[in-house]
Amino acid sequence: MVTTPEARTRADALAADTTPEARTRADALAANAAASADATPARTAARRGGHPAPSSPPTGRPRRARKIGERDRPLWMLAPGGILMVVVILVPLVLGLVISLMDLDQYTLRQWISAPFIGITNYVEALTKSTLIQSIGISVGYAVLVTLICLPIGVAAALATQNRFRGRGLVRSLFLVPYVLPTFVVGTVWRTMLQPDGVGNAMLKNFGIDGGLWLNGPQSYWALVFVQIWASWPFIYLLVLSGLQSVDSEVHEASALDGAGWWTKLRYVILPYLKGPITLALIISFLHSVNNFTLPFVLFGIPAPADVNVLPVLTYITGFQNFRFGLSAAMAVISLILIAIPLFIYLRAVKLDTGEDGGSRVRK
Amino acid sequence: MMKKKLALTTALLAAGAITLAGCASGGDAPGDGAGALDGKGKTLNVLTDANTLYPEEQQKWFADVSEKFKAKTGAEVKFETFASANDELTKIQTSVVSGQGPDIYSLGTTFTPTAYATGAFVKVSDDDWKKVGGRDRFTEASLGISGPDKDNEVGIPARSRPFVMAYNTEMLAAAGIDKPADTWDGLLEQAKKLTHDDVYGLSIAYGDNFDPWKFIWAMSTQAGNPIIDGKKVRLDDPVTIKAYETYFGWLTQDKVVNPAAIGWKASQALASFADGKAAFMPMVTATSINTLEASAVAGKYAYAVMPTVPPGETKRPSDGKEAASILSGSNFVVADYSKNKDLSFALIEMLTTAEEQKVYYDTFGEMPTNAKAAEALETDNAQLAPIVEASKLSVGTPFSGAWGDVQLGMTNVVVQAIPSLNAGSVSTDQIISALKTEQDKAQSALDRAK
Repeated sequence: MVTTPEARTRADALAADTTPEARTRADALAANAAASADATPARTAARRGGHPAPSSPPTGRPRRARKIGERDRPLWMLAPGGILMVVVILVPLVLGLVISLMDLDQYTLRQWISAPFIGITNYVEALTKSTLIQSIGISVGYAVLVTLICLPIGVAAALATQNRFRGRGLVRSLFLVPYVLPTFVVGTVWRTMLQPDGVGNAMLKNFGIDGGLWLNGPQSYWALVFVQIWASWPFIYLLVLSGLQSVDSEVHEASALDGAGWWTKLRYVILPYLKGPITLALIISFLHSVNNFTLPFVLFGIPAPADVNVLPVLTYITGFQNFRFGLSAAMAVISLILIAIPLFIYLRAVKLDTGEDGGSRVRK
Repeated sequence: MMKKKLALTTALLAAGAITLAGCASGGDAPGDGAGALDGKGKTLNVLTDANTLYPEEQQKWFADVSEKFKAKTGAEVKFETFASANDELTKIQTSVVSGQGPDIYSLGTTFTPTAYATGAFVKVSDDDWKKVGGRDRFTEASLGISGPDKDNEVGIPARSRPFVMAYNTEMLAAAGIDKPADTWDGLLEQAKKLTHDDVYGLSIAYGDNFDPWKFIWAMSTQAGNPIIDGKKVRLDDPVTIKAYETYFGWLTQDKVVNPAAIGWKASQALASFADGKAAFMPMVTATSINTLEASAVAGKYAYAVMPTVPPGETKRPSDGKEAASILSGSNFVVADYSKNKDLSFALIEMLTTAEEQKVYYDTFGEMPTNAKAAEALETDNAQLAPIVEASKLSVGTPFSGAWGDVQLGMTNVVVQAIPSLNAGSVSTDQIISALKTEQDKAQSALDRAK
């Protein structure tokens, strides 16, 4: 949606003209110059541009015309949402940042405002003296694994329930059960099943496999991955399903007429439609896994076995068991940065309209 | 999520604090005046743990107390409950930061040192002790974790929940054992004798998040290592290593514990005993009576004080303590910011009289801290005598703001050893190296103590 300089100049020159037709033409030109092939903005812009023309005085500064449109926007109506954003997101974020720079513990909690300011000492301690790096490794590794394994399962399930068949509604609802169950319940049920003498090992024994220890030791990592996959694949399924709904039936018809086999159709016709939903699903699924505190907490308890000492659990122990609130806040900030990276990539990938770009669509 | 949650809480706290600062200046505190207490129109807020065993009885008890106190002083009592230690902690943090919240807290004993470290609770002066009926109203042992020393006490003993050992009387009689041993070595010998087929001598919850450290602490304390010794943490002490070896050895070498116990929480270990699959179940409180009375071992079990002679010894060393249990239960603490301190002390006085503590025991099965009530109970009920005895032999865990770290470290050694425990052996080297790590962490936590 970048407007080329020449086009801009031309459009601006025309906008200086006072007649309504000229203005409309100018607006349309400017809009057309935008990279977007979408015709709607141009039409909208033309309509909007045409309105105030007769009364608006001629002006030597072409950009002013645009500002008139913006001036009357009742921006104050955003205030309730804005205030809420500040109170719910901004203030806590800033407080968290401030706390991460303070030596706040059980001894200084009472006068927390005057707790000693120790700069980045907490960050240094978090990175050098705690198990933060290991925890980040565990968290990211497990989240990536879960997300990658969930993807084919979710897509397959969505494709399987795409076409009408008897009992489709039932199957679709059944697929959602793991996702709808509260994490706490999922954790408790699986903890019971994964006991050394639990149902899980009894079942494995039927196949001649000695299950061993699932809730501690190296296998606990795989237990966590497995349970998290079990609980979170329906999310990908759900998003892919909604993506499939948006594929026009004509597309199916057309590809059928052209004689495309199922794989060709899936790979070259359907999947391109799903790119958006799948990217979104991947990112959210990753974030969800990285941030999941309840599941490891309920499955393994506190203190967590070293193999599943994930980031949220480490942060929790540091803050609420060791009472090192400052250190814990520093860990939380580091994890926030960690989470911000994929989020940033995602926002770039889907080009969610923000600021300049978003404005230019409706601007004229 | 965590970050947001943490930050959000903090923000709300801050907002609360600001609101409060506004209110506080307008308030007055007539309750703190001398003379007879007139609590008319005032409300005392009390935070206490939710009793999951007897939820209805607890509501009724709340109503009764409120009514009685209103008749006495005119003030209303409002009870608020917390469901878990976490809830409690959050509430305390909120209140400490904002300077607003309950007037009285009922705190778990092991949490009292941490609460003390915040400095947000009233230090009970001689005068204050008089207001709650005198310090000597309480059993001496129950005062063991009220403060770092006699002049700096914040906790007023509320109830006692000492840990004891349940044993299967039928099994012991069948094996010709007349009573449980009073040394850990003796107990092990008895357990070996009682282990056969699918019945094990001991029922131990290796997978519990709280039980394991209590064993290690008890054995260490009995052998003369208080774990926190002044400014020094002594987790790497030989007697503590020995304690871990004994604790793990029950499963790996002596094989007197069900191998499945590596995954057990305390309730699962108790269930195994209740099924008649174990002869001894150490580390239970009087609240287990409910489970056991309704189980296969009803009428076939009894309680005993746990051994107080450390492993490897036949006599307790001279610097060892006769620690039958950690000092367990709850303390009342009065918030520093409370505008109704005198009323708070009056309520605590009312709740710690011999009669009220008897009522509380009858309703909830928790042992009194009132010396007279404890004595009466001991003579009245033979089954409870060992529990009262254990209550007297309870020793407070070290009074330090760093105790939480130490406790977590002690538990962590067990948690991380579970895979080896499952494989059949935990080597001494492994214990030593794990303890070294925890020792360093705990020592640095203690160094931070102010």
